[in-house]
Amino acid sequence: MSTTDLTALLPFIILAATTLIVVLVISFYRNHFITALLTVIGHAAAIAVLPSLSTITPRQVTPLMIIDDYSLFYIGLLTAASLIVSVLMYSYLQRREAQREEFYALLLIATIGSSALVTSSHFITLFIGLEVLTVSLYGMIAYLFTYDRPLEAGIKYLILAAASSAFLLFGMALIFAETGTMLFAELAEKLAADDDLRTVFILTGTGMMVVGIGFKLAVVPFHMWTPDIYEAAPAPVTAYLATVSKGGMFAILLRYFIELNVYAYETICFVFTVIAILSMFTGNILALLQNNVKRILAYSSIAHLGYILVAFLAGGALAAEAVTFYLVAYFITSLGAFGIVGLLIHNEREPEDVQDYRGLYVHRPWLSAVFTAMMLSLAGIPLTAGFIGKFYVLTAGVGAALWILVIVLVVNSAIGLYYYLRIVITMYSEPEETAAASGSLSQSLSVAGGVVLAFLMIILIWLGVYPEPLIAIIQDIAGRFGS
Amino acid sequence: MYDLLWLIPFFPFLSAILLVVLGSRMPRAVNGAIGAGSIGLSAIITIIIGINFLTSPPEGHSYTQVLWSWIDVGNFTPAISFHLDALSLVMIFVITFVGFLIHLYSTEYMIKDEGYARFFAYMNLFVGAMLVLVLGDNLVLLLLGWEGVGLCSYLLIGFWYKKPENGYAARKAFVVTRVGDIAMLIGIFLLFMHTGTIHIQQILDMAPRIWVEGATIPVAASLLLLGGALGKSAQVPLQVWLPDAMAGPTPTSALIHAATMVTAGVYLIARTHVIFELAPAVMTIVAVIGLVTALIAGFTALTQTDIKRVLAYSTISQIGYMFLALGVGAFAAGMFHFMTHAFFKALLFLGAGAIIHALHEEQNMFRMGGIRKDMPVTFWTFLIGCASLAAIPLVTSGFYSKELILWKSFSSQLGSVWFYIFGALGAFITAVYTFRMVFLVFYGEKKTEISHLPGTRILLTLVVLAFFSTVAGFIELPHTMGDFTLFSNFMASVLPSVPVLEYSLGTEFLLQLIATLLVAVGIYIAYVLYVKNPEAVNNLTASPAGQGVYTFWSIGWGFDWLYDKVFVQPVIFISRINKQDFIDSIYHGIAFATEVLHRLFTKTQTGKVRWYAMVLVAGAIIVITLAVLL
Repeated sequence: MSTTDLTALLPFIILAATTLIVVLVISFYRNHFITALLTVIGHAAAIAVLPSLSTITPRQVTPLMIIDDYSLFYIGLLTAASLIVSVLMYSYLQRREAQREEFYALLLIATIGSSALVTSSHFITLFIGLEVLTVSLYGMIAYLFTYDRPLEAGIKYLILAAASSAFLLFGMALIFAETGTMLFAELAEKLAADDDLRTVFILTGTGMMVVGIGFKLAVVPFHMWTPDIYEAAPAPVTAYLATVSKGGMFAILLRYFIELNVYAYETICFVFTVIAILSMFTGNILALLQNNVKRILAYSSIAHLGYILVAFLAGGALAAEAVTFYLVAYFITSLGAFGIVGLLIHNEREPEDVQDYRGLYVHRPWLSAVFTAMMLSLAGIPLTAGFIGKFYVLTAGVGAALWILVIVLVVNSAIGLYYYLRIVITMYSEPEETAAASGSLSQSLSVAGGVVLAFLMIILIWLGVYPEPLIAIIQDIAGRFGS
Repeated sequence: MYDLLWLIPFFPFLSAILLVVLGSRMPRAVNGAIGAGSIGLSAIITIIIGINFLTSPPEGHSYTQVLWSWIDVGNFTPAISFHLDALSLVMIFVITFVGFLIHLYSTEYMIKDEGYARFFAYMNLFVGAMLVLVLGDNLVLLLLGWEGVGLCSYLLIGFWYKKPENGYAARKAFVVTRVGDIAMLIGIFLLFMHTGTIHIQQILDMAPRIWVEGATIPVAASLLLLGGALGKSAQVPLQVWLPDAMAGPTPTSALIHAATMVTAGVYLIARTHVIFELAPAVMTIVAVIGLVTALIAGFTALTQTDIKRVLAYSTISQIGYMFLALGVGAFAAGMFHFMTHAFFKALLFLGAGAIIHALHEEQNMFRMGGIRKDMPVTFWTFLIGCASLAAIPLVTSGFYSKELILWKSFSSQLGSVWFYIFGALGAFITAVYTFRMVFLVFYGEKKTEISHLPGTRILLTLVVLAFFSTVAGFIELPHTMGDFTLFSNFMASVLPSVPVLEYSLGTEFLLQLIATLLVAVGIYIAYVLYVKNPEAVNNLTASPAGQGVYTFWSIGWGFDWLYDKVFVQPVIFISRINKQDFIDSIYHGIAFATEVLHRLFTKTQTGKVRWYAMVLVAGAIIVITLAVLL
């Protein structure tokens, strides 16, 4: 391992070092603020080194990891999301009774796992990255273990995630048994060279991997856990689940498909087409009359993954571009939406019911403006990042002539409008003058959380009006996958 | 220096946002300063850029500023980019300069209104949208501005929304212009489909190369664009919304009629004149519609009693003249009339506002009268505006622009002697109704006492506008008076003049003389009928034939009645017999089906891990089966 290799791994080293420091600091001096601050600094440092690394990319670090512009971009995206979650969680834990500090160690480890996932060029990295992420998530979901609901959610997630991981691992084993390699590059060569390799083993293996991946992405029919876990976990952790966990998985799925040209396997593409259609419909229809905001967001995230799959199935450079842009937009809106739910926690209770937001506009015009922007972006209304993302996805879909998927997407966008706008309308309705409602809506907000939300909203509208710079970056990194 | 171009639409938008967000928390003085000041800044920048443009014109007499491209997906790359050339320069000059004066006037005029900040927010948004419309370099921006103007007109006409009839007028304006908008939208799609680009300049460059004169596409496209222009510019048959638009505050009327909105159609045709030139038949339609509109609106104005409605019909009529000019290929003449009209029509509306304010919000001219001594500044400036509207020779700008149009309608290759005859008739009627208004309002006995006199800001605005209503005409003098063509030379880079048939100076002089005499006769008739011998009018209208004509004219030639019978009643009838809307039932069915599905799907979310694991395994089996067996 050369110095350059170590340099290439600098983001990981920084995050790992921060984890160690955080753990050590906790053992000697418990202080929530200092721990959170260290975490934020560690994240920021990891992001800060990324641009300078692009001079040495692409670089294969051991057979296990590839550091190229694509991984760097996603590491940056995931780490930035994790940073925002740490700030949101700081505000959140300030209002809850718990041992607060250890959470940040778990968060850092999960982010390392997710980042490792996107650099995988080998099944081992893929699996280990995934497990590092998942095992930390068990802890994060059930972090407030003195309460029943988070604990129950943690155990549910543990059982189901373990089962799905088993599928993934078994799928990998089958492919390894057939080809004798776990390196993506070698796999790609073998599969391309020999058409006879499309055996039952390969297809079954890929199918089983789809199960594992589908579980992480929470697409139908592997979505059942999503609403329960999203609802019960602390809101910032839900944001993390929706963004970092899914984003890392999607990034590696795209890399895997393009490098191994899985697009050539019609049956697998068909499976994903079915999954996409089912996810869009199921997600939106389940969200339609739901009254719990966190469950609505959970169902809507199922539908959004379906939308991304449309672009994903289009293949080619445009697919990579569209998927990446959409993920960025989705990250911003998910962090913003769950962030607001978390910020408004009052008397140990998150405002989960849609009716809790009645009259939010009167008490907090700015916060309701942010929430409105997030909802409009999720619905894909112009001048938000969500619109550009959806436009991108549609262009990719139309370009690849995936007509059924495109039509389903359009129909579902219409269905989706209903429940997004329902939340918005409720916020602007006359408030009911009950003590409980005004209590949770009129308390003082944490400054750090407010700053983060303002930042998210600015980025959201910025990308909706002036997406050019981000598009240029994405086109640059996606160009590699074009050929 | 041209880099500052983007600031011109930026300031109005910025202040609109400021006023929406902070307006209610700031004192009125600050609201007014932001509202008027932003337009003032835009006007200053426009003037600086304009001077620059005149002294050292940019290469090719046009300048394009690309700020950024909004979306860059496939071939569809709408950019936020502005195109400055002689045409858009004249437009933005009028919009910002006249717009600023109207805003300045409003700071005093609206001071007692509770919606002060809201009013300025709408007005700024209106100006901003109009600026985007004329500066937009591509069809997407053009459309954005176009729709923005439509929205703001709706908001402003219905500004006093507590009265239901105002809301009705706003909806009428919106719906009627929408008819034209749809046509224009299809026209834009047609152009995009056949040229493959949304950049207006590229389309105009390509058009003569890919289409021959009279080909189907340019004819269809220009007809559709004309549809949009007819709606926004209130020309027959879509003129019915404009008189009702008087429901808004008077400065709004001034803004709609002088600087923005109704001139959008004129701009659209001038901007896409290349396509219209490829469709000579459509050009003739434009001219005929303009002429018909000018006459119909003129006759209607003769019979109105509400001062604002007289002005509204006069606007329709004057825009008709602009359409006539465009239709005979005299694009520069149309733009010239647009500019002079903007000055004197803003002046007239603002003057009318001052009068209405002074007379306890009285709008009926027959209950005014004899106020010229009490309101001398208002009287003289209003008189100057009326003189310009009636095209009194030599000293008014309206004379020069209208003469140019009449001369071109006769002498242009696309012109005809009939255009001239009816145009001159229109000028005659204009003189009659204009001076009828002057005599009714300012002469005779005083019928309503003056409650309060206009303040300095209102008077200042009127004086400035009166000044420009006079001198703006001197930049383009006819052949018989020195042949000074500063304006059309300036416009020549964008709007080349259509070939003109050769006529002697004598002919031109004769035609001018005829038109002038008609104006003089018109004023005299107004004098006789409304000052000297008011009984004569009553006698005229009392006779059965006179009564019929009077009623017919006063209801605007029955267009409202006709549309009510042909469109509104049938729609209401159909919706009444179809109360249990069967088409709706399809949508209700879809909604019901999704609801049922929702309840069904919700049952799957049991919260039980064993069930979830079961589904996971079932899903795995299905996926593997599909992957392997298909």
